[in-house]
Amino acid sequence: MNRLLATSRACDAFVSAIGRWAAWLLLPLVAVIIVDVITRKFKLLTMAVESFRASGNEAIAGFIESYLTSTKFQDLEWHLHAALFLLCLGFAYARNSHVRIEMARDRFSLETKAWIEFVFCLVFLLPYSALVLYNGIDFAYRAFAINEVSAALTGLSHRWIIKSFVPIGMALLLIGMVSVLLRNALFLFGPPEFRDEVRSRAPELRDAAAELRAAAEKEAAEIAAESDDMGIEMLAADGADSAGARRDRRDEETT
Amino acid sequence: MDYVELLPVFMFLSLAILLFSGYPVAWVLGGLAVVYGGIGIYYDVFKFTEFYNVNLRIWGTAAENPILVAVPMFIFMGTMLERSGVANDLLHCLQVLLRRTPGGLAMSVTIMGTIMAATTGIIGASVVMMTLLALPVMLDRGYDIPLATGTIAASGTLGILIPPSIMLVIMADLLAISVGSLFLAAVLPGVVLSGLYLVYIYIRSKIQPALAPPLPAELGPGTRAALTAMIFKSFVPPIMLIVLVLGSIFAGLATPTEAAGVGALGAILLAIMNRKLTYGVLKDVSTRSALTIGMIFGILIGATAFSYVYRSLGGDDLVEHYVQGLGLGSWGLLVLMMVIVFLLGFFFDWIEITLIVLPLFLPIMKTMDFGAHIPGVDNIIPWIAILLAVNLQTSFLTPPFGFALFYMKGVAPEHVRIQQIYRGIIPFVSLQLIGLLAVISFPTLALWLPELLLGIDTSR
Repeated sequence: MNRLLATSRACDAFVSAIGRWAAWLLLPLVAVIIVDVITRKFKLLTMAVESFRASGNEAIAGFIESYLTSTKFQDLEWHLHAALFLLCLGFAYARNSHVRIEMARDRFSLETKAWIEFVFCLVFLLPYSALVLYNGIDFAYRAFAINEVSAALTGLSHRWIIKSFVPIGMALLLIGMVSVLLRNALFLFGPPEFRDEVRSRAPELRDAAAELRAAAEKEAAEIAAESDDMGIEMLAADGADSAGARRDRRDEETT
Repeated sequence: MDYVELLPVFMFLSLAILLFSGYPVAWVLGGLAVVYGGIGIYYDVFKFTEFYNVNLRIWGTAAENPILVAVPMFIFMGTMLERSGVANDLLHCLQVLLRRTPGGLAMSVTIMGTIMAATTGIIGASVVMMTLLALPVMLDRGYDIPLATGTIAASGTLGILIPPSIMLVIMADLLAISVGSLFLAAVLPGVVLSGLYLVYIYIRSKIQPALAPPLPAELGPGTRAALTAMIFKSFVPPIMLIVLVLGSIFAGLATPTEAAGVGALGAILLAIMNRKLTYGVLKDVSTRSALTIGMIFGILIGATAFSYVYRSLGGDDLVEHYVQGLGLGSWGLLVLMMVIVFLLGFFFDWIEITLIVLPLFLPIMKTMDFGAHIPGVDNIIPWIAILLAVNLQTSFLTPPFGFALFYMKGVAPEHVRIQQIYRGIIPFVSLQLIGLLAVISFPTLALWLPELLLGIDTSR
């Protein structure tokens, strides 16, 4: 049992680590867009090529001409975007960030929720991600075999690299699914003394409404606290305080 | 009739039922694509090799698509703005400015909703945030609960309509029209709605001052100089940023993706200016944006797989056949589409509705003709897109199931009863309907700005 829970946690930790790392791709994405906009609007690259050529630095001029083009920047933009979202699919599932229709789910018992998660993982997510993974390998391999490059003449080459993020992303999604599947199976079939620990590791089995409220209140309190630091007298801060007080009161009532 | 021909109908019914299981929408969509593809293979109406096309379709729609790069950038910009303290400062500044106006607090919430509409655009998240920021203050002031909740719910959902809106980016991409012109088309309807809210709040508070007690007059900085400084500090930066982002799109200086990138950088700079940017904040904003991006694109690729199999099984022909059999004409079909989207809005966020239903509507939309009411065939699709956007926003607010109300009840203080929330939203829903009817009767509201700034060319 311990081993199963450990496996679930390891899978979760693995996809989350990759997801958190991939999240940083947002910053180079911003940077590439900005560099592209600035250099294109002000024709900086053309100017640089001309001045290097005029001063006899043909090598640098040639390097800029062939490697730093707007087409390449724009290709790089969607490359970063594609890598980012593909690497985050499994992360978002393990961290329960995918949209669910909560209306009926709110009324289900924990057992029902766990059963639905368990069965639907096997019936829907497993075949879907496995199929896209299987075809994705072929998809990336074909790009590799014909040495596919950008459709634009001066775009990026080695298209197979970004295309392999399809199977990689799907593999990560499968790993995320294994984590969710194992923890729900443990919750359903494992020994009762395990239940609370399993539940604490399974965001999909926690009380969604209470979580939402707690997270949002925490955020509001943080914002209010930060505003206080700034020396701004905040009306909204009162609100966050009373929200915190309400939560404290509720906690007292329950204990 | 042959049952195999009805497979797309069963596929859709399965979707409608299984979504309520509460399993992630993205995987239900993708899973049903595989299950019904499998059934299709069994009945010899689908080939296993066609699943490869699903990959190609996913690649072309979600990955190799420069337009959709704007989506992660707008999400990042919105999340960063939220953490940069801009929303709070803005609300505070508005409260000070409007402290003597009847209903000033409610009006400041509406104005903040209109300005911050430029950011995240996910209904659940924005309504939760607005409720937490504004509701306790209004209740402490002794505001009428229905008026307070109605104002917040309506203002918090404006975000999907007022550009830059992620929903409009995705709609434009699905409908193959230009993002810039759809943004432009949404500006006037959005401003009209926000204006209607403001006028309503003002008149109502003027007639019944007890509903909306004013703020203390001594609120805010004492001197005129300090007040001006506060306005400059809290008001000008976010407005500048949004004007910069929208202006560069509308002036044709930047593509939406470029403008979104500039906006993301602007949001980072604002956070630095407010001394809110630390390594922890940057990491947190990136991670939360990444989770939202994973969620949106998860549904996008799931819906792509679903639509591919649905089409391949003959779904489009079936719908077209059925729709022709109805003999409704363009106006009848428009009303039918509006009713369907309105009902779906009770249960689903715009992401699911847009991605699942819009591709089904597109072939029907292409056959529509409104004669002299909509001059220019190219204008029909942008006009309908705006109608759908206003309609969706309305349906999030409509009792008994309104999506926004559901979230609001979740985070409102416990003594706020759901009946009060329902009662509070009725006037705003009426205003929404007025707005919707206005855009239906006067298509100019949506079409004038794109025509003025971009010429008549509303097609990509």
